[in-house]
Amino acid sequence: MMLTKFVTKPVFGLVVLGSGLLLPALEPSKVSGPPKDAWPMTIGDYSGRRFSPLSKINDSNVNSLSLAWVYRTNSGSGFASSIKATPVLVDGILYFSVPDKVWAVDARTGHEVWQFSWTSTGGIHIGSRGVAISGNSLYFETPDCHLVALNTKDGKERWRSSICDLDQMYFGSAAPLVINNHVIAGVSGDDLDAPGYIESHDPETGKLQWRWYAHPQPGEPEAKTWPNTEAMLHGGGMTWGAYAYDSELNLLYFGTGNPQPVIAGKGREGDNLYTESIIALNPDTGKLAWYFQVSPHDTHDWDGVEAPVLIDGEIDGKPRKLLAQASRNGYFFVLDRTNGKNIVTKTFAKANWAKGLDAKGQPIPNPAKMPQIDGVLVSPNQAGAANWPPPSFSPLTGLFYVNATDAYSVYYIYDNDIKPEGWGGNDHGGWSQSALRAIDYKTGQIKWSHTWEGTGGPRSGVLSTAGNLVFAADSSSNFVALDAQKGQPLWHTNLGTGMSNAPMTYELDGTQYLVVAAGDTLFGFAMLAK
Amino acid sequence: MGKGRSREQWTAVVNAMVARGAKATDAELVQIAEYLTAKLGPNSGTEAPATRAGRGSASAPVAGRGPGPLGAGAANSHVVDDAGAERGKAVYTAECITCHGLNGRGGNETLPAEQRGPDLVRSVLVLHDRYGNEIGPFLAKNHPLRSGRKGSSLTQEQVGDLAHFLHQTVYYTLRSGPMLKVQNILTGDPKAGAAYFNGDGKCSTCHSPSGDLAGVGKKYDAPTLQTKFLFPRSVGFGRAGARTAAAKPVTVTVTLADGSVAEGVLDRLDDFNVSLRDAQGQYKSFKITPQVKVVKHDPYAMHVTLLDQYTDKNIHDIVAYLESLK
Repeated sequence: MMLTKFVTKPVFGLVVLGSGLLLPALEPSKVSGPPKDAWPMTIGDYSGRRFSPLSKINDSNVNSLSLAWVYRTNSGSGFASSIKATPVLVDGILYFSVPDKVWAVDARTGHEVWQFSWTSTGGIHIGSRGVAISGNSLYFETPDCHLVALNTKDGKERWRSSICDLDQMYFGSAAPLVINNHVIAGVSGDDLDAPGYIESHDPETGKLQWRWYAHPQPGEPEAKTWPNTEAMLHGGGMTWGAYAYDSELNLLYFGTGNPQPVIAGKGREGDNLYTESIIALNPDTGKLAWYFQVSPHDTHDWDGVEAPVLIDGEIDGKPRKLLAQASRNGYFFVLDRTNGKNIVTKTFAKANWAKGLDAKGQPIPNPAKMPQIDGVLVSPNQAGAANWPPPSFSPLTGLFYVNATDAYSVYYIYDNDIKPEGWGGNDHGGWSQSALRAIDYKTGQIKWSHTWEGTGGPRSGVLSTAGNLVFAADSSSNFVALDAQKGQPLWHTNLGTGMSNAPMTYELDGTQYLVVAAGDTLFGFAMLAK
Repeated sequence: MGKGRSREQWTAVVNAMVARGAKATDAELVQIAEYLTAKLGPNSGTEAPATRAGRGSASAPVAGRGPGPLGAGAANSHVVDDAGAERGKAVYTAECITCHGLNGRGGNETLPAEQRGPDLVRSVLVLHDRYGNEIGPFLAKNHPLRSGRKGSSLTQEQVGDLAHFLHQTVYYTLRSGPMLKVQNILTGDPKAGAAYFNGDGKCSTCHSPSGDLAGVGKKYDAPTLQTKFLFPRSVGFGRAGARTAAAKPVTVTVTLADGSVAEGVLDRLDDFNVSLRDAQGQYKSFKITPQVKVVKHDPYAMHVTLLDQYTDKNIHDIVAYLESLK
């Protein structure tokens, strides 16, 4: 069945929250940065900064970094075997996933502890962006629309819960996030015109606690951003990106995906809320606190799901709770995360599609740059100026690091029907060039930009550390460490294939490790020389 | 992956890979697109029936990005029989089209409310249906038909055919649908295109309508011309696009600390190393140090610069001009 109401009350016979039988859950207030010997969630900590306070590996000794171990999953080739997940580290064990598979690997040696395989009943196997751990349970999504809980000890299944309908072309790919007594899980899929939503499940039983739809309810003021209810209820806005959480405000943050139909927007005139928006929800109720739309009425498939990064910064000399996103549409946004009010909107890559900014700081789409029958030259291209690979923010440098792509392609309308459906067009051809860019969060100014030679862009995430280092990938399969302040490369190693996730780091027994994935292989680096 | 995609669709896939950094010569890219079309194209089933996709239909396979049988939708999704769909279309036209529209996307807004049928492509009941098992019982509940008869009067075969037709319509809506093709793009003014070619665009610095571009409008269709002059390293549309000339390679000059020079076709360049193939076909690679000077020469550098300068009108005018060179 399809829920069309804002679900804030228990449905489907939900259990009452706060059962005393639960295993000890992750306490948000205790996670202000990844602890030395852990990387407790795929995003590092709830801020999503992917910054590590470790500095044993630093700008003066990174050239002595050596390979400590390699773990090859041998899980095939292509999308389905590519490790996009940043591993989670708990009690000396790394946990990560690819579609339908999960592994537990010794963080000191790279030896396999267990692996789990899921028998699939379908869905697009484009990627699995990670697992979540709380107590003795591990949570992940499968392409065939399940949220699954495993026992961290032996990888045995504890429960499974359906999160979407394969027949409507939904699938699962996101990394869940555990917040107190909630497992937050989003959905993917934009082949047909279905509504996006995000859910919360009980960590113990898997039962649905609430579901929030990425569209207003009929009659609400935001419903006027759609021409009619039918378009609104089939308007997309999937929730497949990274999530973040502020425990003081008790707000869950995430971005929503492209509206439907994707390219041919004729049948959905208006801004199309809440697609391509940064959303703040109360994780206990699923109630909307605020929204900010990064791409009103998008027609270029520029999902606004890029990782929200929580920055405790300073604007005009005053401490502020901020949220930053380098969006697929080429714009960098800084918002006040207490209320969603805009502070900075500035391009961080080529973007020729907007006429300017509105009073709220949202780009105004230029109708002339929406897809046309005879084609229109647009930057960025469909893959975007940034995409799901997460950026990093260093509180030490005050810089937001993102692998950015300058790109052009031509967008065409293929289906000129009065009511197009599905995609109805696409982009074709293209040129692109990528660079690692360091952005000053206070102004959106690019402090430095390091161009990656070669065509095309690395689609890799970023890690920054207190060792004045930024780790990222170039276009030639190199894993590169750069000076975080100045941007020049200090160290590299060629992984043989392009880096496919965002790196992470931890310290065990006095040794700092650095872990990164390329294709089906996980590499562990460390300072091994005595 | 993506079994059953047409040449146009595989070309689009290859182009997307190039835009994201895949490195190959034009000839290789064309070869890849041709290979994929031959092995995984719409007619590939006749060559290798044993590996034919079990989802969608021969004419509209379900878009797949996963391996083997795993793509969009359920592994046990409805497999369309194209002949059944053709018969189902006749049933639809006779009994359903007035209320549900020409293409199943719902009744026209000019219809009275009671005659405005819902969108069947977006219908969860249709999407959940397999071979009429949901559609049949639904119609049997006194659903009115255009002929005035009741839904229950349809035979089981007619319901099955209708299900094939509706599922085919759904598959045609997916991004890999065979109906999704570039339309007429020849909207520009050839005279204005010639003026831009010889004027602001400075195209005539390197190209000539009586030299390298003689007859180019005969060789390539308009969408291919548009793709190739904007992005010379991208593959055009369709067969004509696949036949375009190979892109010229980037060359590189490497001057070493001792003053010696190596030149050739660039193989790979990053912050740390450069490799090339010289005029004799010899592969060479060098470590980049502050004393080593590397200069790239991209024959299409001007095409990249122009991307920041063209208006969309310039682009369509140039296509019209190139198309006129017959």
